[in-house]
Amino acid sequence: MPEGKIVLKVCHLYPELLNLYGDRGNVMAFARRCRWRGLGVEVQPVNPGDPVDFREVDFLFLGGGSDREQNLIARDLEKRRDLLQAAVEDGLVVLAICGGYQLLGRYYRTLEGRVIPGLGLLDLYTEAGRKRMIGNVVIELQIEGEPVRVVGFENHAGRTFLGPQVSPLGRVLVGCGNNGEDGTEGARYRNVFCSYLHGPLLPKNPRLVDYLISLALARRGLPADLASLDDSLENAAAEVMLRRLLK
Amino acid sequence: MWLVRLLGRGRGSSLPGMVALRICPGILAHLARQARRGVVMVTGTNGKTTTNNMVARIAGEAGYRVVVNAEGANMITGITTAFLRKASLWGRVSCDYALLEVDEATFPRVTRQVRPDLVVVTNFFRDQLDRYGELDTTVSLIREALEKLPGTGLVLNADDPLVASLAAAAGGEVLYYGLGEHRRVTSSSSAAREGRFCPRCGQELAYAYYQYSQLGNYRCPGCGFSRPPAGVEGTEVFPEERRTTCRLRSPAGDYELVIPVPGLYNLYNGLAAFTAGLALGVEPRVITRALAGYTPATGRMERFRYREKPVLLNLVKNPTGFNEGLGTLLSLPGPVDVLIAINDNDADGRDISWLWDVDFEVLEEEHRHVNLLVCTGQRGAEMAVRLKYAGVPLEKIVVEEMSRAVERVLNGPGKTACLLATYTALWPVERILSGYARRENRVESLPSVS
Repeated sequence: MPEGKIVLKVCHLYPELLNLYGDRGNVMAFARRCRWRGLGVEVQPVNPGDPVDFREVDFLFLGGGSDREQNLIARDLEKRRDLLQAAVEDGLVVLAICGGYQLLGRYYRTLEGRVIPGLGLLDLYTEAGRKRMIGNVVIELQIEGEPVRVVGFENHAGRTFLGPQVSPLGRVLVGCGNNGEDGTEGARYRNVFCSYLHGPLLPKNPRLVDYLISLALARRGLPADLASLDDSLENAAAEVMLRRLLK
Repeated sequence: MWLVRLLGRGRGSSLPGMVALRICPGILAHLARQARRGVVMVTGTNGKTTTNNMVARIAGEAGYRVVVNAEGANMITGITTAFLRKASLWGRVSCDYALLEVDEATFPRVTRQVRPDLVVVTNFFRDQLDRYGELDTTVSLIREALEKLPGTGLVLNADDPLVASLAAAAGGEVLYYGLGEHRRVTSSSSAAREGRFCPRCGQELAYAYYQYSQLGNYRCPGCGFSRPPAGVEGTEVFPEERRTTCRLRSPAGDYELVIPVPGLYNLYNGLAAFTAGLALGVEPRVITRALAGYTPATGRMERFRYREKPVLLNLVKNPTGFNEGLGTLLSLPGPVDVLIAINDNDADGRDISWLWDVDFEVLEEEHRHVNLLVCTGQRGAEMAVRLKYAGVPLEKIVVEEMSRAVERVLNGPGKTACLLATYTALWPVERILSGYARRENRVESLPSVS
């Protein structure tokens, strides 16, 4: 590796267990958009029991899985909780989708009323709902003060409610979002971004990926201005769905 | 009865069945009971249509009259329609066997009305999560339905742990088919594998080798659940451009099996059909002859020719099938002009995020083998994004409206054209394609719903 070349370290948590709905595309998008700009990227898949030092990680991705798989990883993640919390408080850039999002919260309450504790890193909780929320979603979020419309697909029975210490990632224009009630979608706390949106979220929304990349660079004290890329394919794809959904 | 027979002459239509079920909800049970020798159902994620059509071919070769729901019309209305097409004005159906491919989610409903004598289960892969939910749910649905069918015989894929685990659910005889170790098995499987946990105790399975996805020779270190010995087993596999051949061991003797379509997964379909044929009491020689003459249904590796250029049309509907399709594409004489048509109607799955579970990254490594990738359909633009992030050179990616897309791949400078389409995109692509190109391997059509 040439001296001085920046290499961002991406940690993909449990890629073999939490891999529903093509969410690995989020890691692909982060890595590709770094490489297209000449930034080095090292993707480290972390499976249960694998060593990882969160202090050295620049971007951490956590997806969702089936109930069985989520139970398997919950035990492993619990052991890493304190180190992960320290990294989050230190500004680690995290993207958590669907099941991964729920896991970062305080708890998940099942339909039978059983409370499954989460990692408690974020001030939010989830309750199982009777009706699954499935369909295309459009949300509007703010990136550096500018409104950006983001398209995705949600498929969840859990209804998530945010506490006062976190803010929503965006507001719902089409679809259900966090709980189908309060018009919020996802959560943000420091540099942690959570969402129910599959699709996957990042490759369809290049502005959001670039924002995460610049946050990761800034956290390392590196210049965070990114060279612009040709996003015409991404924008055309988003336009198709925006036209269809925002009639 | 004449009313419903007049309705819906379109291809793959389920309208007559829909009307009949409104008028007479018990009609399917009434119609199916008339199959003299019995009812065979094929279910599973991939290979239902192909396997069922192969079984139909075998039964036809053996001289039986059959009712088949071809063309993937595998929900309850489509199945009812298949019978209605063969019924007389008085609701009489004269057939020996009813051969039905049944959608996994519909299987419990259909089997409540029609008791199958034999059920063939092909495989379980992740498919249309918005419709079926998670894979575990699908397997449980089938298991619970089978538990209510004492006496029904089963033909199961021994290589898929999720399928093999169904053996205990049925009361009837169980026959297993599978592929033995051959030169092309792998020691790892990169495909999204949800089936790699023991369906009995939940521990991760250990594999001696993989065929593809979670198919292979597995054993659970926890409870000892393992690949059952396959009564019908393929060995010495010879994949070729146009066909797949293997040696076959069976209780009825050893044979050479020739399937005139490429792809390891089609060999599995052939093994399933062979085993079902044995279960129906058909002579092995009659079975192999029938399979050697098999012609694929629309969009199942269907061959066309445009001027001198060979053209292949294939259905893609989930990551496993798409990965296999890409494998076939890369084995064609290159460079290849490729069309990918992605729709997101209910029948395709409204959630297209599964495209990110397909290993398009092989196209980055082998990009010289591909001349042009034309993306079309309702979500063609998003398909193009997927290819971009797979590292396919941008100048090879094009987004086009469907007619222009088909013209473009046909007239591309590549040696071969390969067209891949999701379910509802398949028909329009096929229609446009037939306007230009000559169909090659569809000598005759099987009796179908149309």
